[in-house]
Amino acid sequence: MSTMLRQTTAMLVDAYRELAAGKLFWVTMLLSLLCVGAFAMVGINETGMTVLWYTIPIDVFNTSVISEPLFYKMIFLNLGIGIWLTWVATVLALVSTSGIFPSLLTGGQIETMLSKPISRWRLFLTKFGTGLVFVALQVTVFCVASVLVIGFRGGSWMPEIFISIPIVLAFFSFLFSIMTVFGMLTRSTIASLLLTILVWFVLFLVNITDNILVQQHEGMKIQVTKLEERLELADENARVMYIATQRREGNDLPDDYPATDDEKYTVNVFLPSLRDRLENRKDMVESLAPWRRGIYFAKTVLPKTSETIGLLGRYAMSKEDLDTLMEMGDGRGKTTVNEETGEVNVAPQELSKASAEVFNNRSVAWVLGTSFGFEAVMLLIAGTMFARRDF
Amino acid sequence: MSDLAIDLTGVSKNYTRRFKKPTPALRGVDMRVHRGEVFGLLGPNGAGKSTLVKILMTVIRPTQCKGSILGQRVGHKPTLAKVGYLPEHHSFPGYLTGAQVIDFFGAMTGVPRRERKQRAGELLELVGMSEWSKRKLRSYSKGMRQRVGIAQALINDPDLVLLDEPTDGVDPVGRRDIRKVIERIKDEGRTVFINSHLLTELEAVSDRVAILVKGIVAQQGTIDELTEGQLRYELIVGDSEGAGSLLQRALPEGSRQLALPEGESQLAKRIGFKGLLPTGESIEVAKNTLTIGSDDPKLIQPIIDRVRAEGGVITSVRNVRPSLEDLFMQAVTDPTTGETLKPGAEEGGGR
Repeated sequence: MSTMLRQTTAMLVDAYRELAAGKLFWVTMLLSLLCVGAFAMVGINETGMTVLWYTIPIDVFNTSVISEPLFYKMIFLNLGIGIWLTWVATVLALVSTSGIFPSLLTGGQIETMLSKPISRWRLFLTKFGTGLVFVALQVTVFCVASVLVIGFRGGSWMPEIFISIPIVLAFFSFLFSIMTVFGMLTRSTIASLLLTILVWFVLFLVNITDNILVQQHEGMKIQVTKLEERLELADENARVMYIATQRREGNDLPDDYPATDDEKYTVNVFLPSLRDRLENRKDMVESLAPWRRGIYFAKTVLPKTSETIGLLGRYAMSKEDLDTLMEMGDGRGKTTVNEETGEVNVAPQELSKASAEVFNNRSVAWVLGTSFGFEAVMLLIAGTMFARRDF
Repeated sequence: MSDLAIDLTGVSKNYTRRFKKPTPALRGVDMRVHRGEVFGLLGPNGAGKSTLVKILMTVIRPTQCKGSILGQRVGHKPTLAKVGYLPEHHSFPGYLTGAQVIDFFGAMTGVPRRERKQRAGELLELVGMSEWSKRKLRSYSKGMRQRVGIAQALINDPDLVLLDEPTDGVDPVGRRDIRKVIERIKDEGRTVFINSHLLTELEAVSDRVAILVKGIVAQQGTIDELTEGQLRYELIVGDSEGAGSLLQRALPEGSRQLALPEGESQLAKRIGFKGLLPTGESIEVAKNTLTIGSDDPKLIQPIIDRVRAEGGVITSVRNVRPSLEDLFMQAVTDPTTGETLKPGAEEGGGR
């Protein structure tokens, strides 16, 4: 075994020992297993949801609407990953790993570590890697337990769930790289943890803004499309009605007579308001575009925590699964236009689908590539500080 | 292979802080440590001892450094596989046992697993920590941690061992044990470089020493070399009131008293005398003791005669060699003012 491999193995084993020595590691592990335990207690049958031996009848939530494997997959993605691993477990992981660099720098270990035949950069990067051990262990245990639950309870074995391990690890590594920079700057566990959570909150706000803008923009675009369709139809109907009216009054107009707008307004008084609304919506689409581009640019240079987790949906859910979930709405699946006012009522499913398409069209290379780019910059900053500092 | 384990020329280090003037810690250190010897580095607080050790161990980057460690340039990482190091303020993880600490740092130095396991047992035995090897470090006393620290510094079977304050926090029995460990390391042919404040211990184990003062080496060599020409005679009379004035009266005619600073001159008046014999040798009278800065027995004879003529009782006359502490105090004391240096390596601090 080469010296490099010996050193890396020793640091990984040490990282595990450090984690195992802390109560938080076992508390998080226990909570993870409780979470999977709760997951195993719920189920679905032909009449509704089941909790242990009890059935709660739900008309829109039973095996005739959603298959058992899809039900478990949905719970795994939305609750297991979406809430537990990306929020609760991540906060616990940040707390557990926040001391890695500050304690290395201030705890009297650094002199001994630097006196060994290992370069500062390799020591820094290996130490960063060991920080990911916590999350790797937690996610692996959670995924294995979840696959077993889905397999035994849902009767479907889903190895695709293991894609969660690298994805959640990537998500955590973005935050951990930020925490590493703060750890280097402040040498304080608490300060680096709080500053990282603050940055995470800012990223969350940027993401929320992006979501709102995408929804608004897509909603407006749906309205424009619907209004254009409606206007085209109303316009043609008004032309035909105008020709018919004129013929009744003795003016023999040809079938292809191109009625003017004023002539059409005489037979359809709602046409002007429909046109005005369309123009108004087009203006709004245009005015939202620069904001969307701005946020998109901001997100390009920032780590995309939510979208990284969102990648799970792309890989773990098939198109049929997504269509099934889309159809599970309350029947308001069609966007409607009020003939008189021109008001467009965009169906939530249609809006969700359009928004989801926007996010799905953002390439994996953009989501992960630029996020890893950000992480590389963070590591470059922190690593340079580590490599150049006197201890 | 060079005969020198450490060979340094002009090592300097300035600590720089944004918007502040650089603070010098080392101002051109020249030092030679021979293979197989125990070398002691001493100096007052802030003289730059730990900075020098840390430069050798690549913990601190020097501002300027020409030299080698085990024949390779300072900063050559692979060479550190043959070096053992015990830092001054180490703090090994409390969640590890003594055996795990040794194993971990052995692996970090690239020692194969089987060898680590075998050597860890031997080293724990050597430092007297075998019974505690499976207990977590958080339950150890400071002295126990120090022992484990020494063991981890030896896990890689090093050619050179640097020990920064190895007896810090260790009780007298522990100090004696550590001294034995150092002697054993030396007997095995390794070079030991010790940085310590405990001069008597350093004196007991060191073959050569260097005294670092204000970032430069003030003196360097074997204790015999450093004390050459500094042997002196000490005459002690019965401890009675007036013993001091008896000794002063016994001084040869033409002896001169040195001008001392205000505070010390008052003290000198009260307890004794500091001056020179007519032949130029230093003399000092403190209470009932007279010291002459020469090993020439002829100089003491007339003084003995006068003391006895005045009815004084001589209890001891001996030829004394300066201790390491004396050398150290000499190096850190201004000979004209008698003031000791203030901490730090900046010029004009105390001299």
